Amino acid sequence: MLSAFALLLISNQELSLLDNAQVVYMLAGTVTAAGAVIAVILGADAFAGERERGTLVPLLIAPISSSALVNGKALGLVSAWGLMYLLSLPYLWAVGAGGQNLVQAILYLALFGTPVVLGFGYLAMALSARSGSVLTSLLTSLIVLLFTASPLLLGPGLRNSTIGKALDAVNPFSGALNTYDAVIIDSDPFLAQLPRFALVLTWLAVTFLAARRSARRPRFR
Amino acid sequence: MKPLRRYLFAFLLPLLLGLGTAQAADLEIALEPDQNNPATPTMGNAMHFHSAIRNASAHPIEGLVAWISLVEVTPGREQPMDLEDWSAHKAVAGATLGPGTTLATDWPMRLIQSGDYRVVISATDRNERSVYTSPTLEFHVARKPIVESSRILPVALGLPLLIGGVMAYRGWRQRRRT
Repeated sequence: MLSAFALLLISNQELSLLDNAQVVYMLAGTVTAAGAVIAVILGADAFAGERERGTLVPLLIAPISSSALVNGKALGLVSAWGLMYLLSLPYLWAVGAGGQNLVQAILYLALFGTPVVLGFGYLAMALSARSGSVLTSLLTSLIVLLFTASPLLLGPGLRNSTIGKALDAVNPFSGALNTYDAVIIDSDPFLAQLPRFALVLTWLAVTFLAARRSARRPRFR
Repeated sequence: MKPLRRYLFAFLLPLLLGLGTAQAADLEIALEPDQNNPATPTMGNAMHFHSAIRNASAHPIEGLVAWISLVEVTPGREQPMDLEDWSAHKAVAGATLGPGTTLATDWPMRLIQSGDYRVVISATDRNERSVYTSPTLEFHVARKPIVESSRILPVALGLPLLIGGVMAYRGWRQRRRT
């Protein structure tokens, strides 16, 4: 997917004239969205997949706490996101070298992308434990992800309305995207990003608590 | 004057001299940049130029053709530019201009490469052999850092090939062991 994105950049005249920083911003958003999709797939499989494979009951009677179970599942999410992040680095370098704020882009992708991606994984995990169906939890999580990731397609101009601003204020994905925009393109300092950082951390905390709560009594019948 | 000579003077001579409908057209072409053009044009910016082609003669001009030309005048890189990527609006054709009337045309342009350029509008008509040109406008397009294919291609093609190669090698080793 990243290769297709990169090749599109050089094969399209309009896109090839974009500024380096603009392209790095777009790629950072794409990596975050792709990481969130992977996290949703893994999260949806976490409990419901075990149930459908008939391995959930043995897992629940094992002498481990629900928190440890959620943390174990989250380790898979972190590994997948880590791999995705590492794979994105050559692409970020390829499109952003010679431009501005490439190092900041890499750092902020880790700082803001990680809570957003893990949050979606936890959300899918919570729905997976509640519904007991991979399909239901996967579809529900993907719909939430599609809605929250819509700023990737809408662009800042369309979000400048009152409703757009209100949604941006509570949407963790918008928080990460707006930070990428502010840091990579406008070279804003970290202090200006603190409210958005608080937003993505809140998202991570809320979804983690939801996943832990759901994991205490997963639907296993 | 004999009737034959009179006939020659009255009809044939003007035709041979190219008078009548083929009389020399007198076109005045003005060219100016749009007021909203960027002060320091950079690669990727859009610019607009406005031309006004006026028929200053007493005869209508039919089959008018006007076109935009761009010439790079960067020292060492002087060349006429192919407008393929620069503009989708390269010419106006088939217009008819009555005496004293003016044809106003907007010429949009997307700046693709950095350098020094001159833009000019030329015009001619169906009957006229002369080509009229506007005064030239000169502008500089500043360079900006953009994506470079020399960096992207090795990564975009190499990384999937590398990952595919490693997976294929691992699969081959596993099959060999079993």
